[in-house]
Amino acid sequence: MFGAGMAPAWLARAAAGNTGGRRKVLVALFQRGAADGLNVVVPYSDPAYYALRPTIAIAKKDVIDLDGQFGLHPSLTPLKKLWDEKQLAIVHAAGSPDPTRSHFDAQDYMESGTPGLKATADGWLNRALTGREATSPVRAVGMGTILPRALRGKNTAVAIASVPSFKVRDEKTATTFQQLYGADSALSGAAKETFEAMRLLQSIPKPELAAGVSYPGNALGRNLQQIAQLIKADVGLEVAFADMGGWDTHTNETQQLNGLLTQFGAALGAFSQDMGDRMQDVVVVTMSEFGRTAKENGNLGTDHGHANVMFAFGGGVQGGKVYGKWPGVAVEQLYERRDLAVTTDFRDVLGELAAGHLRTSASAPVFPGYKTNPLGLLVRA
Amino acid sequence: MRSFVASLLAVSLVLPGGAFAAKPRQMSKEQQVDHALNRLTWGPEPGEAAGVRKLGVKKWIDRQLQPQSISEDPDLQARLDAMPVLKADTAEMFEKFKDRKSGAIRPAVQNVVEARFLRAVYTNRQLEDVLTDFWFNHFNVFMDKGADRVFVGPYERDAIRPFVLGKFRDMLEATASHPAMLWYLDNWQSMGQNAPLGRLAKRAGKKGARGLNENYGRELLELHTLGVDGGYTQQDVIDVARCFTGWTIRDGKFQFAPGMHDSAEKTVLGVKIPAGGGKEDAQTVLDIVSRHQSTAKFVSLKLAQRFVSDTPSPALVNAMAATFLKSDGNLRDVMKTMLNAKEFWAADNYRAKIKSPMELVVSAARAGQAELKNGLTLAVAAEKMGQPVYRKLEPTGYSNVSSEWKNSASLMARMNLASAFAQNKVPGLKMNWPDDAAAILSHKPSASLKQTLSASVDKRTAVEAVLGSPEFQKR
Repeated sequence: MFGAGMAPAWLARAAAGNTGGRRKVLVALFQRGAADGLNVVVPYSDPAYYALRPTIAIAKKDVIDLDGQFGLHPSLTPLKKLWDEKQLAIVHAAGSPDPTRSHFDAQDYMESGTPGLKATADGWLNRALTGREATSPVRAVGMGTILPRALRGKNTAVAIASVPSFKVRDEKTATTFQQLYGADSALSGAAKETFEAMRLLQSIPKPELAAGVSYPGNALGRNLQQIAQLIKADVGLEVAFADMGGWDTHTNETQQLNGLLTQFGAALGAFSQDMGDRMQDVVVVTMSEFGRTAKENGNLGTDHGHANVMFAFGGGVQGGKVYGKWPGVAVEQLYERRDLAVTTDFRDVLGELAAGHLRTSASAPVFPGYKTNPLGLLVRA
Repeated sequence: MRSFVASLLAVSLVLPGGAFAAKPRQMSKEQQVDHALNRLTWGPEPGEAAGVRKLGVKKWIDRQLQPQSISEDPDLQARLDAMPVLKADTAEMFEKFKDRKSGAIRPAVQNVVEARFLRAVYTNRQLEDVLTDFWFNHFNVFMDKGADRVFVGPYERDAIRPFVLGKFRDMLEATASHPAMLWYLDNWQSMGQNAPLGRLAKRAGKKGARGLNENYGRELLELHTLGVDGGYTQQDVIDVARCFTGWTIRDGKFQFAPGMHDSAEKTVLGVKIPAGGGKEDAQTVLDIVSRHQSTAKFVSLKLAQRFVSDTPSPALVNAMAATFLKSDGNLRDVMKTMLNAKEFWAADNYRAKIKSPMELVVSAARAGQAELKNGLTLAVAAEKMGQPVYRKLEPTGYSNVSSEWKNSASLMARMNLASAFAQNKVPGLKMNWPDDAAAILSHKPSASLKQTLSASVDKRTAVEAVLGSPEFQKR
């Protein structure tokens, strides 16, 4: 059994109903496969956009207008509400300064937060915790069976495939395994994190959905629902990560994107609704490794491109605005005459949110070697 | 992983290929037997180590390197023979796919998945099967993408398994021309900008007339051959894609369609491919990339990561790459270089890799002399742990770096798998656990496990402790 004498500080706090109380939380969502930002937030006022995409462009009459220049893809209706409430901010033409069009490398760079540097061992979301008091074994959670690159590093971070199944058969089995793993040099560290998280999660109440909220049945919906559960249970969550695959639309993009964005929008909408007032503690930010070719390819799809669009909502985000300098999509304005050019480094977005919302330690840079230029996404406290 | 490739290329300039820096401490004879079984099979069956000792490790390895010389398990053969769909070609399979109403597709897909696990657990040609997993993963396709539901089975059978100890160039073309790959990376639709069919469509004013698709061209260079730092440009990607225009699918079979081909001149990695070519343009590309030294290194690194260590030495990788180049991509020779290297047998590498979910599940089944009524049971177990077979969406495949699996979700799933397998209540799976649970291991249990076992109240608890123990997670 877990004797009181060996209980870590956080468990005593958990027993007293306090693992740090309400905390600020940053939720990072990754759209793996390179989402087509130009069809997600559509520059519908630009005739060049329609010239580049004779068959897969989103027609002017179909977009959900935002500001007379840009419009949301019609499958993103749940996000329109957030926009109208000035919760949702959009950063267009954001991306990495590194030119790679490899999914693997670009995801790696975006998660390590060090474009062009492959040797970086830890991820930006893990570094965001450095220099802050570690108050909970579930301060950093990645939803899934693998710990995402963004969360790897020296600060405790756990991967959770699902909260309800994050337990072993019974207490005795737990004790046995805890002893066995404690003696194994290669696995003792991961095991310690696992058992501490397990014991804390066993103590939290069953999720209660806010009235009228229904998450979509996809993995992103399930994962966001569980992140919401952890936030509401005040277990000391500070950063969370979830992802969604399938955005690599080389063919038949119209149909694929309708499906993907319907799921994506529904999951984000449900999360915001489920969080209710607690959303003031939370900022959600979305990213994808790069954008897609401005011009459609030969198979009603798009190939690998450069800049993309990012969403941020919740907390003190000053929404209702499309941020970033719009580079345009006329051929001479395109990066290498084929892709949307990057005008905002993705680290400016993530860096501002980490610093302003989480209030990361000033002495521990989240993006080493890079000076963040804030866009003013957050209300100044 | 990629960072390592980069450092490798840098180091290789300094170290001559094949020169081994330091002499690592070697394994004991007993450890060598255990190591060979753990790395070159899906995990030892009870008593298997004794057989290898008797034959001698070197001889046993030689035999595994010649799978045709090993007679197949007759029970396994009978069970595979009872599934006629495993012999169907892609065209027959495609018929099942088109005729969705008949419901023929579901059992067809299930048989393919089930056969994957039956083979892993029961085949006597263990190394060939482990290599089949490795190379399928290298040339990954995704079963849930449309017609790949039905193409995956024939793909593994015809484009992967026959070549895993053969020539890389042969496997490369077999994958490039297989409907499963053509479908997965969209090449079947890719058409030259000025190809005859494209011009016709344009003249007819058809919206969205077909054109080039870069998907396969990029992944061929990045993932199948040179590696991301192997020295190619965006223009190379485009010209490779142009060479492959016309490689398409018709009636569920590969076909070269001259009307879709871009026959203008291209340049790939500095080599001019003259105008006027047809199907052979792409074959020229395969000639170039399959003999490229970046390919030799990239493939060698991945093999060494799977079989030797998460961080193999540049010297080992260079030695394997040298064999690759010298033997014109003979993969049996490359394996021999790896298995003859001191590094493979270094004590530091003994039980140092964490099993992937599939490796864990299959090794447990083999250790328990499982009677598998239904191979899908194991597929479900591996999927729950994050490794659904044939269903890795991204073309990268699963990582060969085993520390990927070192995290809390994975550990939790491993302990729960141990409970389920020890309880022997998994439908379709009967385990024959030995009375002495320690006998499940092919090596002596650690002190702490020994202590746990001596305190175990019953067989089930003891088996659970062994299967869930840190040492059973390693190979």
